[in-house]
Amino acid sequence: MTQRNWRQEMPTTEAYWMDKVLYQVHHQASHLERYRNSPDDYMRDVPLPAPLKAAIRDNDIGAMYLAGVNPYLLRAHCLGLGIAEPVFLQSLRGIADKSAEGGTHG
Amino acid sequence: MAELVGIWAASHTPVMLNFPEAIPDVDRAAVFAAFRNLGDELKRAEPQTVIVISDDHLHNFFLNNFPAFCIGAAAAYPTPVEHWLKAEKRTLQGDGDLGAHLLASALEGGFDPSFSIELTLDHGVLTPLHLADLADKIRVVPLLINCVQPPLPTMARALQWGQLLRKAIAAYAGCERIAILATGGISHDIATPRMGAVNEAFDREFLRLLAAGDDAALVRYATEHVNEAGNGAEEIRTWLVAHGAAGSAGFEPIYYQAVSSWYTGIGLGRWSMERSLKRRP
Repeated sequence: MTQRNWRQEMPTTEAYWMDKVLYQVHHQASHLERYRNSPDDYMRDVPLPAPLKAAIRDNDIGAMYLAGVNPYLLRAHCLGLGIAEPVFLQSLRGIADKSAEGGTHG
Repeated sequence: MAELVGIWAASHTPVMLNFPEAIPDVDRAAVFAAFRNLGDELKRAEPQTVIVISDDHLHNFFLNNFPAFCIGAAAAYPTPVEHWLKAEKRTLQGDGDLGAHLLASALEGGFDPSFSIELTLDHGVLTPLHLADLADKIRVVPLLINCVQPPLPTMARALQWGQLLRKAIAAYAGCERIAILATGGISHDIATPRMGAVNEAFDREFLRLLAAGDDAALVRYATEHVNEAGNGAEEIRTWLVAHGAAGSAGFEPIYYQAVSSWYTGIGLGRWSMERSLKRRP
């Protein structure tokens, strides 16, 4: 078990934008529909580097966690998209070693 | 002036509603029975309004503006805000007058909360009210604490908030009977590699310290060990508010079970009003 509850004590700018994508997708029905239709189109104007957009698009939960996405937004995103619990948990447990190396700090 | 007629605390998690079958039937029956019993106790206390101390899980609040403490002052609260939560849409009756009184009392008392009269409440409030059969039977005033996005308010501040609530309730002339329901925790992780690893030792020590009534030891333990209990354990701030409102006296655990398949140490407790009332506001 890691000994810190939070990956970041303050969100980095990149984490903020990832959080914003997940937040908006699940708080406005039209956003969820647009995102489901094409995550790439939905995120076209979001100022994030390609690997972080890809992490969101590909439901790479572990990568999103390591990038500092708020865990409650991450959890809600997976529930909202209907990602299976075993897939969700396996992705997180798969990055346990990297997580133990410590987070970034905004 | 209003009387504080009861204080309770209970865990919450959306998996209770979304994946109830994830745990054995006998365990689920025991947890749900504990919630119903809490609800029965609360109803017998006949409060006119219940102050529900919980947290907003990044639904009403986001990184553009995230209050450490927010008091609801609305006449009604739609719920749930989560489109994915398996719960019927409903509207909780609010008590805007008491919310406004708590807000004014807080500002007068040296606290600086935000307020809202436009909250759509999430599972943190709805789940315990639903399981306790209270959702359609009480008026609520939500007090929402940031337990989900660092930087977080301190554990000591949460206890102080409870002390403030105790004074504010005693000074309220708008109704006669008020109860408190705190909800959150105990140990659990949300969306981390250790999700599902419940820290039962932390939970039992936290419950023991609540019963012991030593504020300094309680706050020190909560502060120094919460990182061993998971990001969801940050919600113990709600229990500390309840404890402060009780005058740090009278805590009695009702139920505890480490339910790893629900990812959570499920705890419920009450504060004895008889013992609490011996402490003056």
